Amino acid sequence: MVATRHRFTDLARITDDAHDLFAQWAEEGAFSPLFDEDKVLLMRLAVHEWLANLVQHADFGDRKPEILLDVYPNGKRVRCVIEDNSRGFDLDLHMERRRQALDPFPDRGMGLLMLQAATEYLDYRRGDNGRHRLEFSVAADQDPWLTIPF
Amino acid sequence: MHVTTMSFAVEPWTQQTVIVRVGKALDFRNAADFKAACQDQVRAGVRNFVLDFSETGILDSTGLGSIFSLYRQVSPMEGQVVFAAVSRPVQVVVQLTRTYKVFRQFPTVEAAREALR
Repeated sequence: MVATRHRFTDLARITDDAHDLFAQWAEEGAFSPLFDEDKVLLMRLAVHEWLANLVQHADFGDRKPEILLDVYPNGKRVRCVIEDNSRGFDLDLHMERRRQALDPFPDRGMGLLMLQAATEYLDYRRGDNGRHRLEFSVAADQDPWLTIPF
Repeated sequence: MHVTTMSFAVEPWTQQTVIVRVGKALDFRNAADFKAACQDQVRAGVRNFVLDFSETGILDSTGLGSIFSLYRQVSPMEGQVVFAAVSRPVQVVVQLTRTYKVFRQFPTVEAAREALR
């Protein structure tokens, strides 16, 4: 697969649409054999968690939601960029709060931490175009894990 | 009798044990329904839950949180939550979160039922 871009505007369908994309890529064998199925699933989980976060919490004001998913495969590593036109939020602050507030066997608050754990690199910022942009990569040689209090 | 809620179904096995066919997804869209359905079972006296993940393509943090919630409910009553026929997408979440330390896994629902007999 070469770099690809997909645009989503319907928050009610975005989760299913994104999973359909991954199913299509799996059928096409879109990723390098160096980037195995488990790593594709890990990347899919990261995308899912971010989209779930946008669906549940993002403030789009009076704008029609627009979310762009860019995927850049590069052998053992795949980079994803998810750009949206919401008002954004302080990701670092939320992550730190969630980390500190994580109870044993938590009901909620694991999504962003799971996203961070699943990714090799994670960056979130407001772009020059005024949109918020999450960029992350997943690497074939990662052995990621998230510490959850049990 | 089968109780179907969203994509999952609860099948009684014994008075204290049910099989939950998780279905295609357990995520932020149906986790609250899963929690409510399991709570109803606990109120009815069920203590052991076999979660059948054979058809499950999506388990996310909210779905996992609903399973933790169930575990917190039944473990003080010596109940168990076990995983059966874990699909690869679910296994990726189990490995990432190391929840295999908490939930016993069985290759099939039948194997899980045998272990809980």
